Amino acid sequence: MTSQTPPPVERIGARTTLQKLLSRFHFGITLFAVALSGLTILLAGVTALRGYADRNIELAAQLGAYGVEPALVFNDPQAVREGLEPLTRIPGIARLRVLNDVGRPVTEWTSPATDPAPILTRIFFPRPFAVTVQRNGSAIGTVEVWGDSSTLIDYVRLGLLAGLGCLLVTAFGTIFLARRFEYELVKPLNEIATVAHDVRLHRRFDKRVQPLGISELDRLGGDINALLDELQGWQGHMESEHAMLAHRASHDPLTAMPNRAAFDEQLTLRIEAAAGRSGRFALLFIDADNFKAANDNFGHAAGDAVLVALSARIKETLRKGDFAARIGGDEFIVIIDPLDNETRAESLVNRIRGSVAEPVSLPGGETYRAAVSVGVAIFPDNGSNATTLLTAADAAMYADKMTSRSK
Amino acid sequence: MPLKRSWGHGQVLASLFLIGALFTTPPMSVQAASQTLVEDGTGGMTRAVNRMVGGIVSYARWPEAAPPGGRVMCVVGAPRLSDRMAPDLPGPGAVTVRRMTAATVTPECDILFLGRMPVADRRQLIAWVRGRPILTITDDDAACIYGAMFCLNNRAASLSFSVNLDAIGRGPLRIDPRVLRIGHGEGGAS
Repeated sequence: MTSQTPPPVERIGARTTLQKLLSRFHFGITLFAVALSGLTILLAGVTALRGYADRNIELAAQLGAYGVEPALVFNDPQAVREGLEPLTRIPGIARLRVLNDVGRPVTEWTSPATDPAPILTRIFFPRPFAVTVQRNGSAIGTVEVWGDSSTLIDYVRLGLLAGLGCLLVTAFGTIFLARRFEYELVKPLNEIATVAHDVRLHRRFDKRVQPLGISELDRLGGDINALLDELQGWQGHMESEHAMLAHRASHDPLTAMPNRAAFDEQLTLRIEAAAGRSGRFALLFIDADNFKAANDNFGHAAGDAVLVALSARIKETLRKGDFAARIGGDEFIVIIDPLDNETRAESLVNRIRGSVAEPVSLPGGETYRAAVSVGVAIFPDNGSNATTLLTAADAAMYADKMTSRSK
Repeated sequence: MPLKRSWGHGQVLASLFLIGALFTTPPMSVQAASQTLVEDGTGGMTRAVNRMVGGIVSYARWPEAAPPGGRVMCVVGAPRLSDRMAPDLPGPGAVTVRRMTAATVTPECDILFLGRMPVADRRQLIAWVRGRPILTITDDDAACIYGAMFCLNNRAASLSFSVNLDAIGRGPLRIDPRVLRIGHGEGGAS
């Protein structure tokens, strides 16, 4: 299997937060909408106002025509000026001119006020309004009225100001909405992220994403939960497998007792612990007598049954803190720990002997009485390390075997 | 207290009335105003007079509609400004001009143009006109104080007219207020 690491995901240099992104989008969209509607309203307003301004000027021109009519009849420039007088007080009129029946100017008036926006004037009032003055059906002159932007400019100014105000309100509203939206969106995302983080960092495979209000995110959470279920299953399976393997490595499959390796480890630990508290413990080396003969006479299955029975009986005699292991074919080791003044190793040995001497029923129907040789070594009396202790126990066991044979 | 207040009201009302009267009907209701430009050359003044008379006629409203032949202008006495009286009406229509003496004036005259004439004749004609729908125009009364409704006046090569509001107010004729205003406009100055 080629364990190639996947190419690293390219990261974007400058990161932005979701809130910034949302607020930018919100602001853009709202700005566009406000600008569009504002412009529409402004244009509609200007158009409507222009209509009114046109009408205003037209009415002014008609008023002027009415006012100057007799003056034109009498060919009286002074009276014409007086006839125009009311018009000069109407706002939004830049210039007035009255022509007589042959088109010669009779009088002219220009507003003393300067035009606030000549461009607007040029756009909206490019030509003067001309009203023909009639007397009994015949034209006796013309009144011309030029408008200016003074009526429009106020509206435009107000409109722009209102637009600016709207924009400000929009900006604040957008920020608020984006915050709110972000909260609604980012909170569930954060929840998912927290779970993922916990699982990755602390191996908390039992963590689950809570149901979320946003359906897409809820689906994502559900998928993550399903993934975690699977991961948890795998994790559990792996752990039990691992435990089984560990047990198998340290235990004897036949008697389910710890094996030699486990015993070595245990012995080292016990020595360290006993040395640390200046305590004592006993090491019992137990060997079945004539086990080879039994094996040969009754068969391997019977031998196995004897070994299982032996191990069970040894285990029965032990106290809570004691430790027993099968370290060879018919060899067992027991650690009596702690060994205090009341506990006599010899009495324990005798108990083991007694327990073992009970008959064992074999698979073939026969009964077998097992006997064991036991050697005792005391830490630290007979040795202060594993090797010397084992050697001492082994020697003691051997001596015991010799004694029992010679009996 | 109520008595005092009512007296106060009365005083205010009286003051208002007085002010209103002062502004609406000036005590001296004769005004000269118009300043019609008179073209140079022979006949300039005649044309100006005819135009002015026609203009005045066109802004007058008689209680009855005009007869099919148009309004009749009776010229009495000797016109000072023009010897060829032919009122120039703006637009269609015309005015028939008849020369008469003070004795032969008939009610069929719609307009009475009073030229230079004995004071007694003028007084008699003005008295006769009173209450009748007849427009009176004179060119021999610069101050416009002898009872004609409109008084033509030439000053410094220009022609103007004045309005006698009392005379107009007494008769059944209705004159366009714009014309009254023109005749009224510079009144104070002259």
